Amino acid sequence: MVVVEVSTGKRLKALVLPVEANDFKSLNKSMYFFNWKEERGYEIYKLIIVGQLEILGLISFEKIPFEWRYHIRLLSASKKNVGKQKQYDYVIGNLLAHVGKIAVADFGEMACISLKPKTAIIDHYRKKYKMQVTGSTLSLEVPELINLINEYDHDEK
Amino acid sequence: MMKNRSQNKMDFEFGIDSRYSSKEERDGDAIILMEARLKRMKNLSKEEIIRAKLIQLKIKMEECLSNDHKNQSQSFSQFLAHYVDSMYSRRNDFARDLGVSPVILSQTINGHREPSKEFILRLMIHSEKVYQSVTKFNHEIWYQIFLNEKLRETMEAEDSWKSELENEVKMPEFIL
Repeated sequence: MVVVEVSTGKRLKALVLPVEANDFKSLNKSMYFFNWKEERGYEIYKLIIVGQLEILGLISFEKIPFEWRYHIRLLSASKKNVGKQKQYDYVIGNLLAHVGKIAVADFGEMACISLKPKTAIIDHYRKKYKMQVTGSTLSLEVPELINLINEYDHDEK
Repeated sequence: MMKNRSQNKMDFEFGIDSRYSSKEERDGDAIILMEARLKRMKNLSKEEIIRAKLIQLKIKMEECLSNDHKNQSQSFSQFLAHYVDSMYSRRNDFARDLGVSPVILSQTINGHREPSKEFILRLMIHSEKVYQSVTKFNHEIWYQIFLNEKLRETMEAEDSWKSELENEVKMPEFIL
């Protein structure tokens, strides 16, 4: 996976890793949206640049096996990585692709990842990540899910 | 309650609180979503299904290699079966394409025969071509999976081979 430094266009190798107990010390409200400690009972992953410690974004999710689905609970880039002044691009796409990989590994062609965002940003996710809209739920399924994985899951600089 | 607390955070472009606020909400959404998904699944082409299965295999093999060899739950033969069954309705057809006998393929898939070097090389050639139109694929992964499995088996049996061979291995004087 790679992220792009917005100011220079430089592409840097990135990794998605499970959040560890020590990470919660740095997940404070001045740097990150949401209270991630509330998600301790769920799977939480972080995006970092290889060789660095700073967490660029976070995602928590739950597995719903009888629906072949992973539902994303919280998803956010760090405060430094949103809006016009953001440092790195591709943070959210990499996090979504990582959950997509977990879903495809478990469920193959039946795999699905879902989100239930606020109405105002549904259109953004639908356009940017080719998500399906069903009621108030956004979902990514095969084949679009595979395309997302192929788009983000590589180390090409 | 959690949702209300972070409602204001949802205004940010990249901050999404997608947690269900109640079981009713979750169940209602699940039914509607599943109905829509089942309709969409019916429209998946054979090629799209094969592509998804091949990506699934690639992810699982990479995951297997990234784990500690002691924790690997899947074997070369299971990955081979996944690969063959993703594309072929008859395993004999794959054996023909690979240029090996159906018996050898069957014994390898069932774990009754260790794959020969040539078998793995043929598999590497086949999968390299298959994955060209699917995704980036490191065909060496078959060999890596096989070697990792051999290492795991060897180390798991350490108690038996070590006790048998230890007395036959001599040490230089300075060690003694």
